[in-house]
Amino acid sequence: MDAIIQLIHVSKWHDRRAALSDVTFEIEKGEFVLLMGASGAGKSTLLRMLIAEEQPDEGQIFVHGKNVTKLRPSEIPYLRRKVGAVFQDFRLLPKKSVFDNVALPLIVQGASEKDIRRKVTEALRAVDVDHKNDQLPSSLSTGEQQRVCIARSIVNGPVVLLADEPTGNLDPERTREIIELFKLINARGTTVVVATHDPHVLKYVNRRVITLVHGVLLAEHRVGEGVGG
Amino acid sequence: MRRLFYLVREAWVNMRTNRTTTIVAILTTAFALACVGIFLLLYMNLRNAAGSLQEDVKVMVYLEDRRSSEQVRELERTLKTDRMVDGVLFISKEQALGEFRVQFPSESHLLEGLGENPLPASFVVTLAPSFRSPDAMKAWVERVQTMEGVAKVDYNQEWSSLLAGLIGYIELAAIGVGILLSAAAVTIIGNTTRLALLARQEEIEILRSIGATRTFIRIPYFLEGAVLGACGSALSLGILKFAVELFRQQIQLTGRFSGIEGMISFFPLSVCLALVMAGMGLGFAGSVVSLLRVGDGRA
Repeated sequence: MDAIIQLIHVSKWHDRRAALSDVTFEIEKGEFVLLMGASGAGKSTLLRMLIAEEQPDEGQIFVHGKNVTKLRPSEIPYLRRKVGAVFQDFRLLPKKSVFDNVALPLIVQGASEKDIRRKVTEALRAVDVDHKNDQLPSSLSTGEQQRVCIARSIVNGPVVLLADEPTGNLDPERTREIIELFKLINARGTTVVVATHDPHVLKYVNRRVITLVHGVLLAEHRVGEGVGG
Repeated sequence: MRRLFYLVREAWVNMRTNRTTTIVAILTTAFALACVGIFLLLYMNLRNAAGSLQEDVKVMVYLEDRRSSEQVRELERTLKTDRMVDGVLFISKEQALGEFRVQFPSESHLLEGLGENPLPASFVVTLAPSFRSPDAMKAWVERVQTMEGVAKVDYNQEWSSLLAGLIGYIELAAIGVGILLSAAAVTIIGNTTRLALLARQEEIEILRSIGATRTFIRIPYFLEGAVLGACGSALSLGILKFAVELFRQQIQLTGRFSGIEGMISFFPLSVCLALVMAGMGLGFAGSVVSLLRVGDGRA
């Protein structure tokens, strides 16, 4: 299989403290990976580097065949169009309707009106909030807001979906629903990487787990397969 | 199409969200551009006045007495073939006396005591438009003064130089004030854009995270700057038009300087449009400066 994400001896320091230290791993196309670790383990830093929001101090990162560390600033937006991102705080525009929020990545790409309508409707239906089209994010529950955020991240058919603590603000039932949604998206062929500190998420996932501790890749294993190096 | 609509709507939302800042920016820009406009109006009107007055500028070439008619005709030929001369009119001694009597009937008896007509024959010379500048006129007069048969050459040099000097000063002042206040307008609009940028920082971060290019993020702010500049400029023209009309009315009411109100003109439509475009350009420049100062991290 092809590696869609590849980290080679990646290190990053924040104020002389190692946020990531010599991290090397690969994620294959179509995989579902959980990135586990406590707060400050380096999960968010790693995800930010995958969409070129941060650059490593050492090492190389490849995403969908592109060396992210060598991208020119003008190329970064085009990388981000291939990599959807879901955030713990949803990052929805409060004054725009659900539809407009989800349509944003397509507008940015210059999609036609017809395509926008079709793809947004499909994405909202996929996350089961298509009936809240015209509402503002503030009128939705936290679970629904997270669904809208996920719809926005998949609306333009990204090859990779990154989720940073997507269940951090949700109760266990909503957490299960969101993880099921990610599994569904993964089943359609999108590579999914979910970063979480919540061990309960493991209950719902029988997939590959990468564990980070203080910026060091501690272990890689499959849930239910035991821990390997 | 949707993208264009989105960008225009974002610019509009920016302005509506920061309504007070937008209004203050338009008003201060309008005030600054109106100050520049005053100088431009003054400059334009004085130039028009100078132009129309210069059309009437005549140079009097007085001839020495006792010149034969052949010598006078020779001098007339010389003047008429001069490339700087547009027209030549001969006034004989008798015509000069007749005109004097018409213009000054009460003083005509003064000449009768002298017996012989003391007034000289003359040529009234109109110079070609391109040679009506004070320097060109002076050079021409100095040259003609040395010609044989010419007693004296007369024209209102002081007045002409004074007007040209005044126009020059106003032109300089207009340029100086224009640069200074245009920079002020750029700064005002730049700061407005900066405030809008800071207020929408979170939104910009979201746009960046979903793959918006820097240009896409910046266009609404460029549009906002251009619209603010155009509105400020249009408002300044409104203020100036009102001021000009008020000035004309005051002149008519007081009755002083009557006739001058007809000479005061406002900018023609083409200049008005050019000034609105210039305001738009200044606003755009303000946004560009602001975005460059804020840097890559923000937008």
